[in-house]
Amino acid sequence: MSDQPQAGAVAEPTAEGWPAPAWVPTRALGRTVLLTGLLLVLGVAFGRVDLVLIGAPFAIGAAIGLRRMPGSAPEVTITADTEHLVEGGSVDASLVVANPDVIAYDLVVLRTRTSPWLRLDHADRPFGIVVPRDGWAAVDLSGEALRWGRQDVGPAAARVAACGGLLACRPVVTPPHRVRVYPVTDPFAATEAMPAAAGLVGNHRSRRHGEGGELAGVRPFAPGDRLRRIDWRVSLRTRDLHVAATLSDRDAEVLLLLDVLGEAGASGGVGGAASVLDTTVRAAAAIAEHYLQRGDRVSLMEYGASARRLRAATGRRQYLTVLEWLLDVRADNTDQVPDEHVFGAHHVSSDALVVVLTPLVDPRAADMLASLTQSGRYTVAVDTLPAGVQPPQGNQWTPVATRLWRLERENVLGRLREHSVPVVTWAGAGSLDLVLRDVARMASAPRAGGR
Amino acid sequence: MIDRLTSRLARMRRVVDRATLTPFLLRCGIAVCGAIAMLVAWPAALMASRYAALLLIVAVYPAVVPRGRGATLSALVVVAGWIVDTTGYGAEVALWRVLSVATLLYLGHSLTALAAVLPYDAVVNLDVVGSWGVRALVVVLISAVLTVIALGLASALAGGAFLVATMVGLCGAVGATLLLTRLLRRA
Repeated sequence: MSDQPQAGAVAEPTAEGWPAPAWVPTRALGRTVLLTGLLLVLGVAFGRVDLVLIGAPFAIGAAIGLRRMPGSAPEVTITADTEHLVEGGSVDASLVVANPDVIAYDLVVLRTRTSPWLRLDHADRPFGIVVPRDGWAAVDLSGEALRWGRQDVGPAAARVAACGGLLACRPVVTPPHRVRVYPVTDPFAATEAMPAAAGLVGNHRSRRHGEGGELAGVRPFAPGDRLRRIDWRVSLRTRDLHVAATLSDRDAEVLLLLDVLGEAGASGGVGGAASVLDTTVRAAAAIAEHYLQRGDRVSLMEYGASARRLRAATGRRQYLTVLEWLLDVRADNTDQVPDEHVFGAHHVSSDALVVVLTPLVDPRAADMLASLTQSGRYTVAVDTLPAGVQPPQGNQWTPVATRLWRLERENVLGRLREHSVPVVTWAGAGSLDLVLRDVARMASAPRAGGR
Repeated sequence: MIDRLTSRLARMRRVVDRATLTPFLLRCGIAVCGAIAMLVAWPAALMASRYAALLLIVAVYPAVVPRGRGATLSALVVVAGWIVDTTGYGAEVALWRVLSVATLLYLGHSLTALAAVLPYDAVVNLDVVGSWGVRALVVVLISAVLTVIALGLASALAGGAFLVATMVGLCGAVGATLLLTRLLRRA
């Protein structure tokens, strides 16, 4: 017998895959039986009543402890308050042990694991509690959520001792409870107009000339112009026909393209340093929130092997969907090149403003940016590489190699700018204004070839 | 070798850092019960010799490793000491000594059973230790009353101790048989 559940005990696996709980004798029960029996035998053999009396407490203790024995297993549940939890917010989780049995549990040892991004009080320690018969007891774990994502509270395991420690239950394990922690959105605002438009709703006027109420300028009459567009005052003054050009009153689509080909930098949670994915997710949430509030349509796509995407939509519901979608962003460390059929310029709407959030560490990301620009998409690259990020110190050549890598990266950035790909470092509010102005100017310029 | 020693020291330091008060006090209780039981059970002459250190180590060992077989070994050594003292050294079977040995053995056993399932770094509600202690004291009290009555009967019968032991022993054997039958039926 052992204090640990015996390996040979019958354990039927349940549907969830955990072994069925069973009550097994402990080493204490074995000790009780051994000492009681031995002292009884010696007492009778030698005619010594004192030996019998020394063994009496063990027999009495066993008789009292085992007069009623447990028959069913404890039930362990994990609860957590998941009502719109944001990074840095407080988490209230609890472990609840229910005792459906007719006897009380003398000791329940509760252990749980939690995500490293949830700082819960004493979560790394086991808890010892008593659970009354046909009742329940709870251990409260309160703390703080440190980072966005789906964070686990659990799995939790309960080990129960009953009958004065003579019987113990196999550990009952309950699966983890997943808590959704939404990213903190950096304050973001972009006052510049959208470079292109496609739909029929929204607050942004387009740079595209078309039917609308916003005056874009006056230009000479050209075949196909409607007569009611002629600006007679200018025409009389210049002695040549001129028409008033207007901007289209259409909405805009914003595609947020997230480069998940790699992760760099150590994440310190909401109050600490930000890794590439931290910056990517928080910036994406902020940009999406900004444009969705303006009535624009926002879609998201991952640049990685899985190439997840979220179709374009507008409104509050889309914002919540975006936040939910962002929780599943993971670094894709495979060397697999994103398939042209899965990810290609043809998947990107020709009128959309494409904001690519990328650390520009992987050469495939630079290639992707160049191809998007070449295919005529309005592309803005947001550099998400944290300042001062360093590779782990390997040997004496690491600093030199790092410097070379930085030079090469600067070279890539310069070449991208030469190819009219604006690259800005993410800095919250106003990050994109300068580059959006450039993109808008380019979008309004005449283009070679029709789209 | 040095690496293993260093890692073991680091592990011990970690254990000391994480240890909480209640499990530590429980283990202290096991050690105290074992040491006093050993002192009372073994002959005073032996306990004054160099063998005392060995016996005390055996008594304290279950406090360090409550999940092992040390508690059983320690209890058996105490019983052996009692037999050696009363048979070999011809010590008198005094009521206080029987009560002390029985009480300390059972308290040590009960605390070891609790310490075996309670991790050293656990956060423990006081009602766990309180209810456990009350239960152990009730058992000790009942057996103390039984001890007083049985030893009184034995002295009253004046030499009929063999008869009393046989009767009590038979009752105990019947109780143990019933207990084992019940356990086997459950399994």
